[in-house]
Amino acid sequence: MSQVALTSRGPDERESSQVRGGGRELTPLRRWIADAPAAYLLLLPVLALFAFAVVYPLIQTIILSFWDIKGLGKPKFYGFGNFVTLAQDANFRQAVVTTLTWTTCTTALSVGMGWAMALLCSMAPRQTLIPRVLIFAAFGVSEAVTGYVWIGIFRGDAGGLLNSLLGALGLGGLAHPWLGDAQTATWCLIAAYSWAQTGLPLLVIYAATQAISRNVIEAAYVDGASPLAIMRYIIAPLSMPGVRVALFINLLGSLRAFDTIYVLTGGGPVRSTETIGFFMYRESFTQFKLGYGAAATLILLAAVLIVSIPAIIQRTRTTT
Amino acid sequence: MMGKAPRWVPIVTWIFAVVWIVPLLGVVMTSIRPPQDTVLGWWRLDHVQFTLDAWFKVWDKYKLGEGFWMSTKLAVIATLGTMILTPAAAYAFQFLRFPFRRTLLIIIINAFVLPQQVVVIPLFTLWRQMGLINNVLSVLIPYVGLSFAWSIFLVKNFLEDFPRELVEASKIDGCGPITTFFYVVLPNTLSSITAVGILQFLFCWNALLIPLLFLRTEAPLPVIFAQIAGTYDANWDLRAVAAILTTSVPLVIFLIFQRQFAGGALTSSGSKE
Repeated sequence: MSQVALTSRGPDERESSQVRGGGRELTPLRRWIADAPAAYLLLLPVLALFAFAVVYPLIQTIILSFWDIKGLGKPKFYGFGNFVTLAQDANFRQAVVTTLTWTTCTTALSVGMGWAMALLCSMAPRQTLIPRVLIFAAFGVSEAVTGYVWIGIFRGDAGGLLNSLLGALGLGGLAHPWLGDAQTATWCLIAAYSWAQTGLPLLVIYAATQAISRNVIEAAYVDGASPLAIMRYIIAPLSMPGVRVALFINLLGSLRAFDTIYVLTGGGPVRSTETIGFFMYRESFTQFKLGYGAAATLILLAAVLIVSIPAIIQRTRTTT
Repeated sequence: MMGKAPRWVPIVTWIFAVVWIVPLLGVVMTSIRPPQDTVLGWWRLDHVQFTLDAWFKVWDKYKLGEGFWMSTKLAVIATLGTMILTPAAAYAFQFLRFPFRRTLLIIIINAFVLPQQVVVIPLFTLWRQMGLINNVLSVLIPYVGLSFAWSIFLVKNFLEDFPRELVEASKIDGCGPITTFFYVVLPNTLSSITAVGILQFLFCWNALLIPLLFLRTEAPLPVIFAQIAGTYDANWDLRAVAAILTTSVPLVIFLIFQRQFAGGALTSSGSKE
């Protein structure tokens, strides 16, 4: 019985268990726990901190979402009340709309621009080194600072670059308090965040293009393909793995974004630019409705899990 | 790329990159020109004059000095914490056999999708009950605890290429699992630990939400900056300096370690083939 179990796990395993058992074969149970004391000793601090900082808060957020907690008042069990209130709350519906617009637009713009730049750069790697670093540098700027940098573009007074530029082009009539208008503030945020996030797709997709085998490109060249045809039919399709990775990373980043919104618009004017990730902050920490904020957070978590399903499946499957 | 790329390719990328950098140029210019010259826009060149006044005055006006020290302290401690604890865990998951190994591993490495928003409400209540608000532990624990989700994945991935024979050989020579870790595996993981450290340092330095909620009296740099940046304060020159100072350290580290950053970010997001 134990012999069967051992051989089915491969020669490598049998060898090591014989070594540890000093030539004597271990029972499956003993082999299962052979390294347990050492392993748990090494893992102890990690498991403790992980439980403290991730597992406990996650479970507690789920529990809190069923309670009505306002400020320091006594918590009341509320069932699905928080979720019902969310569904009826005009501010939350606005936050859902903003989240959808924000997430799709920032991801599409940043990955789209990064992809376009990566393909262009792959045609002339040496001459485009400095442009690549410059675009990538914007990604290295702290997200809070990104918000401030773009206030300088959109501010409504004479020092705002966009309004002055419109004036210089003879389009002064289009000048606008961009951040003070609920219609345009979301687009200002999208522009700022996409600007900051383009660096990563550029880098990731550029790396994917550099991994393409030279032979394929040479063969096409020998067959007389023009640089643009090589781009269109070889490099662009083969850069897709990089594009998928960049899409996933930026999608996740946009959903959880907080810093740029906090600085650039603070969720305003009149709560029009709050995403769900910002709405929970507002409800829980400026109005101290902790249970309500927790319920909103769970909606955010659901959105995050939906976009992460492929990544989670892949990770779980490849884990050995 | 074979053949000559069309001439417009580098030209277009250069134009794109120059436009890209204009917003940052604006902040730098505002910080080194007298405020009265930039009221109508930092790009106006009617009076060209440079001054470092704002660079000296800003330290008195805002609490940047303390913020700088606080940011450094938090980022260094949290980075060291992650760098010290991660390799042991990654080694245990990769080379040791113990009950619930795979279950624990799957839970930890999939936690990387969790947004920080998910943990802040319960932690806030907990820290309030324990009296830890305004204590550095209130941010260090989540910084380090949240990092394991990606750091363990990154180092374990690296260890998958580590020859198992070496581990087996050290066992035959009589090393226990822990001795094997310290003498055989750990010295060979330094490159992946460096990548983990760089990522963690950048995340911790730039963190805003967690310290904003838990550190009210002695805040790190991004929190202090976020509070002065959003207000309609007229000190554009001083705030520009504060912006540069806030992002200077992470930006420099980021540009120096671009390669490690990219490799680390790719692996930790699960995209290494």
